[in-house]
Amino acid sequence: MAEKLLEIQNLKTSFRIRDDYFAAVDDVTLTVNKNEVLAIVGESGCGKSALAFSIMGLHNRAKIEGNILFKDEDIANIAPSKLNKLRGNKMGMIFQDPLTALNPLMEIGDQIGEALLLHNKELSKSKRKERVIELLNKVGIPRPEYVYEQFPHELSGGMRQRVIIAIAIANKPDLLIADEPTTALDVTIQSQILDLIKDLKDEMDSGIVLITHDLGVVAEMADRVAVMYAGQIVELADVDTLFEEPLHPYTRSLFNSIPNTAEKQDKLHVIQGIVPSLQNLPREGCRFAPRIPWIDNSAHEAHPELHEVKPGHFVRCTCYKHFSFPEHSKEEQQHGVS
Amino acid sequence: MGAKSVNVEVKSNVVKSPSGISVIWREIVKDKIALISLIFLVLVTAFVYGVSLVLDQKEIVKVDLFSIYEPPNDEFILGTDYGGRDVFGQLIIGTRNSLSIAILVTVMTGVIGIVYGLVSGYFGGHIDNIMMRILDFFMILPFTMIVIAFVAIIPKYSVWTFSLIMTAFLWMGLARLVRSRTLAEKELDYIQAAKTLGTSNIKIIFKHVLPNVSSLIIVSMTLSLAGNIGLESGLSFLGFGFPENTPSLGTLLSYARNPQVLEHRWWIWVPASVMILLLMLCVNNVGTALRRATDARQRRG
Repeated sequence: MAEKLLEIQNLKTSFRIRDDYFAAVDDVTLTVNKNEVLAIVGESGCGKSALAFSIMGLHNRAKIEGNILFKDEDIANIAPSKLNKLRGNKMGMIFQDPLTALNPLMEIGDQIGEALLLHNKELSKSKRKERVIELLNKVGIPRPEYVYEQFPHELSGGMRQRVIIAIAIANKPDLLIADEPTTALDVTIQSQILDLIKDLKDEMDSGIVLITHDLGVVAEMADRVAVMYAGQIVELADVDTLFEEPLHPYTRSLFNSIPNTAEKQDKLHVIQGIVPSLQNLPREGCRFAPRIPWIDNSAHEAHPELHEVKPGHFVRCTCYKHFSFPEHSKEEQQHGVS
Repeated sequence: MGAKSVNVEVKSNVVKSPSGISVIWREIVKDKIALISLIFLVLVTAFVYGVSLVLDQKEIVKVDLFSIYEPPNDEFILGTDYGGRDVFGQLIIGTRNSLSIAILVTVMTGVIGIVYGLVSGYFGGHIDNIMMRILDFFMILPFTMIVIAFVAIIPKYSVWTFSLIMTAFLWMGLARLVRSRTLAEKELDYIQAAKTLGTSNIKIIFKHVLPNVSSLIIVSMTLSLAGNIGLESGLSFLGFGFPENTPSLGTLLSYARNPQVLEHRWWIWVPASVMILLLMLCVNNVGTALRRATDARQRRG
């Protein structure tokens, strides 16, 4: 069995809206192993990024309950100075938007060097520069000596994302969190960046949490997949199982929404309704129920829990047993929407 | 081998992007008025500070009853005042004192305002709330009245004490400005990214946030330098600045409160007035050129 690297237990991250706290991440339990890519998929606003920010301790004014064990150390309730020793050193994060994630007034070399300087004080200046150039080389940037002295605005989006990756891996972290690393890039660059992340993972033997809404990326990269809906994990399985045999209605709706070139489709499948906002989220019962109204209420559990249907394959709520797409779904949705 | 030589060739062709100082310099050179203003400022400052090294302030402010109200002549280039004191010497020392106060006040309000604004904006929440209410309290204090009260309390006045009093009531504007920019800046991803590297808050504030709001700070401090020259002269003119034995541009100007002097003895107050006008105008010109340099859309150079 693989070695556990990160263990999230009953994590609940709540944001304050007016005078109440609303949970954006609700009771999430997850593990990430060494040399494994765990993908977290879900719609916008389902709590993927809130989860990632909780792990890195980036929330300023959120209430975080539950435990986040990183190498058996609880980092959810840790002193900031101790957390700063881990961040950038043992844990790295790749941000979504390469245009804003670099300081516009700092040379590339200094920005990568900062990560080295913070966690390795005795590294001499020339050694540090050597190491930065080595890192730039590693992430596939041509003419690293020159890029070292450039500013972020002189680089293209793909190059900047490579620089961001170089910063994240500067200290060979054990855990790498990639928050939609390819969303802002075009498709050709996307695959290069993904290959790069994959290679680095094998080289450093680290665990990666890959947050994305692109199922194509998931299929290519992930070892295991957690599907999130409205702050909860609704299905957790290894990637082959999930793609061959998705169980939860939400997962199946997601797959059904992907345009398929093999079959001729007039209309795309659309999941009815929208993700409810934090304040209007139903806290009781199955959270996906309002979006599949044709399924009878008795099919849902009163307090949906994750059931292990097969070893390693978890599904929330019992509604998956009774779920099917409606017969004339296309027409119905037309009317439903209009 | 071939690839290497190509690389070298490309390297020699690339131009480094211009640094901040070269952008500012280009902008000032392009704007003739700003360039003349800057040269004038540098000359005046150098002359005033240089000459006042050899001038003896005590000698200049000594009353000489034999040479009262002398118009400009060979001995006194700009004549004398009612105490028989050399106006030209007073003008030089006065300009030095006024400039020193303006620079000191600008630097001190700058330091306080920047740190206050950065801390308040960066940490936000309750800290921001408390700090901003304290700032609001300072804003509503009637500045002129309090300075007058201080003048009455403090027996011996110097450039330093006067600057400190002015600083105590002038730092709020910059603090507010810096806070508002910091609020926007800290939400950007690169601040979060710096946090994920394990950078401490203090380091993020001064290494990441401060350089990114620096353009705003430079411009606003330059423009407030002009304001501070005027403010000091105004207070001295009203009689709440320096005593007569410490000349400043304002004290020279205040002789014009005597209608006799105003009408018949122009040489006492006109040079100081012209000096105040020129200094403020020049600082303002340089300031607007700086402002254009920080905004690429407005640049001329």
